[in-house]
Amino acid sequence: MAANFTLDSNPDSYFSLDDILASQEKVPCTFNTQVSNMGYMDQSTTDTNIVSGTKLELPFWLAKSLDRGSRSIINIDTPKNYKEVYRQIFTADPNVVDLHKLGPYFYLFGGKLISLHLPDNDDIASVLLKTFQGRFRRIMDGSQNTLNVDLTSQVSLLDEQERLLFSAGQQGLHDFQKWETRESEKLSTSTMVANHRKRKRFVLSSKSS
Amino acid sequence: MSTEDVGDDLLETVDDEEEEEAMTAPEVLHKLEEAWLNEKFSPDLLPVKSNLVECMLDQIVAMENNISTLKKGDFRISVHRMEIDRIRYVISSYLRHRLAKIESLTTHVLQEEEKRRDSENVLMSPAELEFAKGYCNSVMTHLTNTALDHMPLKAATPNAKEIAVLPNLDSYVFLKVNENTENVLVEEETVDAREEIMDFEKGDQHIMRYKPIASLVESGGVSLI
Amino acid sequence: MDPSEVEFLAERELVKVIPNFTHDKIYLISGDVGPFSAGLPLPVPLWLAVNLKQRQKCRFVAPDWMDIDVLKEKKQEEADSRFFTPMPSPHYMEITQLLLQWGTDDIPKADEIRTLVKDIWDLRIAKLRSSIDVFVKSGESHAKLNYLTLMEINTVRLFLTKALNHMHQLKSVTSRDTTNSNSQAF
Repeated sequence: MAANFTLDSNPDSYFSLDDILASQEKVPCTFNTQVSNMGYMDQSTTDTNIVSGTKLELPFWLAKSLDRGSRSIINIDTPKNYKEVYRQIFTADPNVVDLHKLGPYFYLFGGKLISLHLPDNDDIASVLLKTFQGRFRRIMDGSQNTLNVDLTSQVSLLDEQERLLFSAGQQGLHDFQKWETRESEKLSTSTMVANHRKRKRFVLSSKSS
Repeated sequence: MSTEDVGDDLLETVDDEEEEEAMTAPEVLHKLEEAWLNEKFSPDLLPVKSNLVECMLDQIVAMENNISTLKKGDFRISVHRMEIDRIRYVISSYLRHRLAKIESLTTHVLQEEEKRRDSENVLMSPAELEFAKGYCNSVMTHLTNTALDHMPLKAATPNAKEIAVLPNLDSYVFLKVNENTENVLVEEETVDAREEIMDFEKGDQHIMRYKPIASLVESGGVSLI
Repeated sequence: MDPSEVEFLAERELVKVIPNFTHDKIYLISGDVGPFSAGLPLPVPLWLAVNLKQRQKCRFVAPDWMDIDVLKEKKQEEADSRFFTPMPSPHYMEITQLLLQWGTDDIPKADEIRTLVKDIWDLRIAKLRSSIDVFVKSGESHAKLNYLTLMEINTVRLFLTKALNHMHQLKSVTSRDTTNSNSQAF
């Protein structure tokens, strides 16, 4: 049996791919000053400079590094999906929302937004938690109760972290059922070895023909 | 010689504190199994239990010698072999979990070891320490050759502190209480919540974050399950 | 942890067997077993019991709790209680599994036993799920889980710890930010 130790590492760790992907999500920004020679970033104009008042969607990591409080060259606005209108939808019935479409890193990106000190910071923070708590039972029941049932429609609505949670739930159940039916004690060829053999056979047969 | 000589041995082991304790082989095995589970479930690397591992390896060697003196077909041979296999499994799983953690938390465990340098209570065995250093160098070389060498100089100096992978000490763990412990700080005071303090009663089982009970895992007051 | 590892831990539990041979004590590293006298029941670790059984050297003796009446009562108690009730063995599921797999003939009414134990398991797992839901919704940061057995804990381990870690992360975004806001420099 291999050591199956997996670190449940900090999601904001330097090498976390999810963290990198989440910090690429866009935030709406307005420039307070003119920025020379950066006009190419604005696809809608041929100016060499970004003029004051320009509205652009910048990736989080860039916006964050340009954000310098009151003397900042940009103003950051709350992204649409985290605004009041959406927050009300999440609170009303969190289970019907397609967080993958709105995410796909709904929580991770949401957590990052908090560090930008937006005016509605507290509301965003609380809606993140409440949305998860509201969706939790569905995720648990879906992952625990149904084997061999098509779950694609339910899973498709989940954000990336929820999907990981969902498969953790399924794995717990699968492992137990395999143990209970004594399947885990049967030694079986690992799929890699089996595939390798097939390939070998294929090569052999194509040679002989 | 029969197998009797091994099981009855009393073992002298030096505990982390100065006191010398005589433990029987079953007690050592039990401690090792506990250390194995603690290591399995703790998000951080725990101080190595070299004495337990070595003691059990000695027991295995002695037992194997005894088995070799038994007549072929003796009913006891397979029983002893089976037990040895079970103990070997625990030892190798224990060491593997440690290696896996050393690989993912390399810089962190090296720093922690540095902090403990003058204390008796080391984090890693000499072999583990050597592995950690070697692994750390290999990773840095790999990153340098594959990426950093091809970057502008200013971007090519990674901030060691920033790239260090830290254990998530806030991870939730299951634990069982071994000794009554009063006033365990479960939750520190925050802006919107008061601090929470609890008493642990022997035999209780809890689920909570690792950080508040990390020291109790090391002292043996609780075991991770 | 893989369920087979929970079973491995359960195999340390003592169960009674009736050997069909006579032998002196065996001095194992984990402790002495025996002496064995043909026909006389004695306690041995479960792993050894299974091994002896496989070599047709013993019969199993069902533990006291592995009895239709005891289990029926236990099931009723579990169904009536809002909380988890203490189980007769911390490894009831694994012991049942192993004894019934290798010694169905030794355990009276094996099939009924199997069904009852599974019913109790199902009741407890359903209870576990609803308490997890209550726990998560309450936003509490810790819970006492007395009387839950290791196999039960293990089936929800990954799921529950992941969910709670996620919640903790969501709860701490606000507080973490105030301490950390200047550390990100480019």
